[in-house]
Amino acid sequence: MSERLLPESFHDLEPFAAAWSLATEKERNRKRLASTMTEVQEFYNAILPRMEAVIAYLNQFPLDAMPADAQRLLYLTFSLAEVSTAVELFKQPSVVDGYDAARFVPIHK
Amino acid sequence: MAAVATSHINAVSNKKIWHAQYPELGTGPVPIEPYISQEYFALEQERIFRKVWLNVGREEEIPKPGDYLVKDLPACGTSILIVRGKDGRVRAFHNVCSHRSNKLVWNQGGSCQMFACKFHGWTYGLEGQLTFVPDEESFFDLKKGELGLTAVAADVWEGFIFINLDPQPQESLREYLGEIGETLKGYPFATYSATCYAWTTELRANWKILKDAFQEAYHVAFLHKRSIPDSFTSKSNPFAHGVDYKLYPRHRKMAVYGNMEHRPTPVEKMAFQFGSLIIRNDYSSTLPPGVNPTRDPSWALDLNVIFPNFFVDVSDGTYFTYNMWPLAVDRTLWEVRTYYPKAKDAGQRFSQEYSKVIFRDVIMEDCSTLEQTQSVLASGAKTHFVLQDQELLIRHDQKVHEEFVGFYKNKNKRGKKGVTANV
Repeated sequence: MSERLLPESFHDLEPFAAAWSLATEKERNRKRLASTMTEVQEFYNAILPRMEAVIAYLNQFPLDAMPADAQRLLYLTFSLAEVSTAVELFKQPSVVDGYDAARFVPIHK
Repeated sequence: MAAVATSHINAVSNKKIWHAQYPELGTGPVPIEPYISQEYFALEQERIFRKVWLNVGREEEIPKPGDYLVKDLPACGTSILIVRGKDGRVRAFHNVCSHRSNKLVWNQGGSCQMFACKFHGWTYGLEGQLTFVPDEESFFDLKKGELGLTAVAADVWEGFIFINLDPQPQESLREYLGEIGETLKGYPFATYSATCYAWTTELRANWKILKDAFQEAYHVAFLHKRSIPDSFTSKSNPFAHGVDYKLYPRHRKMAVYGNMEHRPTPVEKMAFQFGSLIIRNDYSSTLPPGVNPTRDPSWALDLNVIFPNFFVDVSDGTYFTYNMWPLAVDRTLWEVRTYYPKAKDAGQRFSQEYSKVIFRDVIMEDCSTLEQTQSVLASGAKTHFVLQDQELLIRHDQKVHEEFVGFYKNKNKRGKKGVTANV
């Protein structure tokens, strides 16, 4: 049996946790660009309707002292932010006619 | 809440009102030569970058004594070490050892008690003084007191650290910033700077191609039609006309129109719900009077272009900065930073994350154009850019450049035949 990554009340998002719960913008952006639109859309469709509940749950914890499973859930919301432009604006993983993402280097996490 | 009154009356005008306010700038095409000329580039380094105040960071980056950061300026042939002393003061030095001119600090920043040169171990204190020389007895008449690091003028404005490579700066930082500095007085830089997201990239484009792209909004309806289709344009203002423009002797400002009827995407809506974003419908007038000076309710942000290479673009709840560092006539190191107040909870943090992703992706659209432009700029197909009323800031920038560089003035003196500067 694999270890549970997310808080229990969000077990429906568990299938996405291993792939999309990533700690840095670089990793999240790389994951987005390496995914097919079907994969991206599947993740987007799963988490978007759960967002109000997710944020309400996460808001009970101080940002700098989250339990590990809540922290992973927070990273999952960051991945929603990351893929949102692909789904809602570009209709493809990368920015249309965009610059090479690998050359635009985040200094932050 | 600001009353919805004479909303964006300037922005819906197509009467070319902005150039009319600055007739000395003319309205003709402007030359491309400054973007491709090696000679012009060399003059810029000598007469601009070695003469004026340059932003190199923020105080939050070096909060404690011993904290330092390094700013390499390859086009000026130097590297600058910026360090907070034991007395809390921020100082800057050429990052060059007094012995045989090795680069003293090789990393980009950190915290320390002293700086030791990797080459022969010469050691300097936080105030730049030479404190230790290995095998000192073997030197001849070594005057350690005179062999400290070479100081560079440094000063701080609103938390932004500036340096000046001129050994005798012609004016103080405050004098240099002048009126545009005053307009930003009271903007909550300290609060908003709690969180910084930063990116860096090396672009194959002249540094002024970058500057130009970010001091006009005409391109938004076209280049950004997918990413921000209705944030800065609307039916009444389809070409993102600015709500206000103001030119200073060297610097300049544009108040950018924001469409308050903007229809957010589903995730953007979430981000609205949990935190603040640039385009918001509850625009408050708590910002200082110099920001959105006409108090236009259809306002998104102010561009503040500080000569030569620093943008401080302020909004309600967030601001962002650009620093363009020329590396060669066709290469630029670009630093992009967005700043937010400290997120109080996960919801606000998510909102910031969305905000920075959309910001970054919009910039990815810009970056492509910058390199594509540069790739054909030297073709000779065109000798001039054609500018419209809303590209006033670009025209003004060229004029200020020429005032510092004197390229065309000298050219005309030498009686050379060539393009005539309309600057």
